[in-house]
Amino acid sequence: MNGVRNLLRARELSAGRGVLRQALLGRDRPWLQGSSCAQSFWLVPVRSIRSSAALSHSELVHSARGDKEKDRGFRDGSLVPFDELFERAHEGDRNKAAFSRAVELFCQRDVRRRGHIEFINAALRKMPEFGVERDLDVYNKILDVFPKEVFVPRNFIQRMFNHYPRQQECGIHVLEQMENYGIMPNKQTKFLLLQIFGEKSHPIRKYQRLLYWFPKFKHINPYPVPAALPQDPVDLARISLQRIAADLSAKVTVYQLPLTDISDAGKEITQLHIVGIQSPDQQELLARHNPSRPVFVEGPFPLWLKKTCVYYYVLRGEPLPPEEKEEVIDSERNFYYPMHLDLDLDRDLWDDEEFYVDEVVEGPIFAMCMAGAGDQATLAKWILGLQQTNPILSQTPVVFHLTPGPRELQAASDSESGEEEIPQSWHMKQEL
Amino acid sequence: LVLQPFPLGNRKVRHRVWAFPSPSKYKTINLEEVFPYPEISNEELEEINQFVGPVEKFFSEEVDSKKIDQDAKIPPETLKGLKNLGLFGMQIPEEYGGLGLSNTMYARLGEIISLDGSVAVTLAAHQAIGLKGILIAGTDEQKAKYLPKLASGEHIAAFCLTEPGSGSDAASIQTRATMSEDGKSFLLNGSKIWISNGGLADIFTVFARTEIVDNDGAKKDKITAFIVERAFGGVTNGKPEDKLGIRGSNTCEVHFENTKVPVENVIGEVGGGFKVAMNILNSGRFSMGSASAGMIKKLIEMTAEYACTRKQFNKKLSDFGLIQEKFTLMAVKAYVMESMAYLTAGMMDRPGVPDCSVEAAMVKVFSSEGAWICVSEALQVLGGLGYMKDYPYERYLRDSRVLLIFEGTNEILRMYIALTGMQYAGRILTGKIKEMKKGNVGVALEIFVNKFRDSMGRKVDLGLVGKDGVAHPSLEESSKKLEENIYYFGTTVEGLLRRFGKTIVDEQLVLKRVADVSINLYAMTAAISRASRSISIGLRNHDHEVLLTNIFCTEAYFKNNYAMAELEKYAAENLDDSIKKVAQQVLEKRAYICSHPLERTF
Repeated sequence: MNGVRNLLRARELSAGRGVLRQALLGRDRPWLQGSSCAQSFWLVPVRSIRSSAALSHSELVHSARGDKEKDRGFRDGSLVPFDELFERAHEGDRNKAAFSRAVELFCQRDVRRRGHIEFINAALRKMPEFGVERDLDVYNKILDVFPKEVFVPRNFIQRMFNHYPRQQECGIHVLEQMENYGIMPNKQTKFLLLQIFGEKSHPIRKYQRLLYWFPKFKHINPYPVPAALPQDPVDLARISLQRIAADLSAKVTVYQLPLTDISDAGKEITQLHIVGIQSPDQQELLARHNPSRPVFVEGPFPLWLKKTCVYYYVLRGEPLPPEEKEEVIDSERNFYYPMHLDLDLDRDLWDDEEFYVDEVVEGPIFAMCMAGAGDQATLAKWILGLQQTNPILSQTPVVFHLTPGPRELQAASDSESGEEEIPQSWHMKQEL
Repeated sequence: LVLQPFPLGNRKVRHRVWAFPSPSKYKTINLEEVFPYPEISNEELEEINQFVGPVEKFFSEEVDSKKIDQDAKIPPETLKGLKNLGLFGMQIPEEYGGLGLSNTMYARLGEIISLDGSVAVTLAAHQAIGLKGILIAGTDEQKAKYLPKLASGEHIAAFCLTEPGSGSDAASIQTRATMSEDGKSFLLNGSKIWISNGGLADIFTVFARTEIVDNDGAKKDKITAFIVERAFGGVTNGKPEDKLGIRGSNTCEVHFENTKVPVENVIGEVGGGFKVAMNILNSGRFSMGSASAGMIKKLIEMTAEYACTRKQFNKKLSDFGLIQEKFTLMAVKAYVMESMAYLTAGMMDRPGVPDCSVEAAMVKVFSSEGAWICVSEALQVLGGLGYMKDYPYERYLRDSRVLLIFEGTNEILRMYIALTGMQYAGRILTGKIKEMKKGNVGVALEIFVNKFRDSMGRKVDLGLVGKDGVAHPSLEESSKKLEENIYYFGTTVEGLLRRFGKTIVDEQLVLKRVADVSINLYAMTAAISRASRSISIGLRNHDHEVLLTNIFCTEAYFKNNYAMAELEKYAAENLDDSIKKVAQQVLEKRAYICSHPLERTF
């Protein structure tokens, strides 16, 4: 048994070289093809022994020298193997190049890719750290780590049972992580999976399911949020407001741009952004508002854009009293045709397609805004800006109903995850 | 001339809408109204023929349509010629210096005048709407003061209703007339757009908002109509608009700035402008039928000339079935248009003030759409030639496009046709439907039995043909089809009233079909009536008329049946729901929202 292990080790050590690896693969293939159909997974060690025996004469001496560092991850038996492979791979930045280097290091080390499952699991875990969790190339590279053609079932019994279950499971893990990050596999992924696991294997089926569902869900959201949200608070406010307003005629006005300036006295003056939105319909509603009744500035209300939360304020009126609500159509309204018929007949039941909806009476919303700060002084500037386009606002009392809003929340999250905050303003919070 | 009582509130006047159930005989037509086809006396015919000759000569010799179109201006000599022929006062009574033509004669001249779209529109804007207010609602003083000069063409009139923010909505009219302190005049302020003859006119019929005090003392804004002379001061106009067609007609903005209008120049009464406007608009439309027919007849001549001379594959174009089909289509349309136009004009000429606004609207919708289709088909016959600016055909195409738009768009007129009919039918049927809804077994049973008999194939006999039939036996097939359509349309309308009640005003897709069916029924009636007369008195080529009538009636019969079958279905089955949904989704994004066919997701 000892001899066998030594042999194995020796083969493994010798596998670090590319030339050798190719030679080995070239040799391997006819051998694999020639193998009998009765072979099943537990025969693999024997196979390795055979093949390693085949090359033992040439490189044994060289590999015996050993590259201790190279296989430490495998040997030290830690729970998180191969971690240091990644640690070593990044000299400086943790990026795609560094990650690829780590994968290449592993691949070069051993032609048999011993421990590839552990390595792949580790790699999957490390992906977000390297910021490559949304990179299809990297996933394909990881799949490439699997030895090819070894796990393809060769007869009906293998096909019937779960052939190389751990490897298949690992392949599924890779695909699952892709699924979780919404990465669509491509042709290369399929090619690799076919090479590794063969047709109708579990990973291939997973791949097929992904390819069935992902395109269907890709555009399922009728209101998509852009993949990368703008960092500029004004731009962010603009897209958020347009999103809430849901009216293509609504006009965004930047009432104040964010600005930091040093005054003559050497005092720092900071100006916060105020961005508002109002549609022509809202303008009309406001124009018809009875100026003796107050309008209210309320907020902040949260709006989530993926992982970013922004807060907005609304200018609203009170629900109209019932006597003002009814709009009577003047009989002398339309020059061309009657607007209503003088008939004593109502709509029949079968054509009444409206559902009964219990409606909560709400006041009209006249405008919305997002601002750098939620204090009354800042919001008053917004109202002042609105008065330019809505003259009636200058005669209407404006009541500020402001809640402290996210401040407490902010404090709590500050202590918990201080560095994850987007620093530009207190009312934009990022949760990871 | 004793002024007829102004038909205020035309919805109260009994409508003679053929297709809709009439009060006396339910699900039938008022035969005496449409049969026999209206005629004019020999003297009148002679009189009108006397006009027709010189006018035709003038239009063929002195009106250079190509130049008018290119220069976007009618030369003064042409205008002078028109004035000399008296064409500026065709419907103004002779005592005011006009020609005093009846509606029928006016329609006849309209056929010739329409040979140049720009001239036709200029004249129509002048007398069909521009001075119509004075003619139908003006006082004797106003008539005596303005009509003679308008009739001679010394003054040109324009009709100022449309504003930048106001098309058919009276509530959005912004032009305001405020009464001066002495109560003797109004100060007029505001702008009007797209005013035909706006740059030429001396007399404007202007609609403006005025503050009036209600019976209960409340102040309210109402529309008032004014006669405004350019000489009053403060009237300016913008530069003529550059248009697609009818380029020679003058269309521009007109601005009124502190224009002082004396109280005597109010048309009708203060605050009564809405009805004046409605009546002017309603009365101005009927002539479009004969005008379109005149144009198509000319077009048939020109294209037939081409089709019979051009040869391809050693065959004349006229030998090809697909070309022949186009000529048939043009002939059928022209025939039906003409029939409708002169039937309507004839009815309008009957004593009393018959309200034919629905019929006029039907004529307008049918003829404008027919004209557009015919011009397009004529261009198709001509092929590449029709597309060239060197030939007049493309001008016809451009000119005829406006017919679907002005004097009330066809969509709006369809609503008018359908809703007026519905209102009329509703008056008769409300009682019956209510009884049935209450669960009156007798009424319900009657409806059921009728439905059952209909489903077994009922023979409908409304008295068009048969022993005492008014239609000629050669038209029996067509008449039967018309009778059947009318009967089932009555049933359909009843069903619609039961289903939608007064909320039908919001069912525009339903109303459109109702309007289409009633237009077709009116057209069938007019064609059958005219053809019957022609056969009976032995007019030349009456066999041709029979063919045209039969072709039209058969086609219309199937179209009607299809529309009525759709009307009997619920919104989910007749595609209405889907149509609305698509529109909603497109309009929400304000774009075509499908992904590009080359787009992919994986």
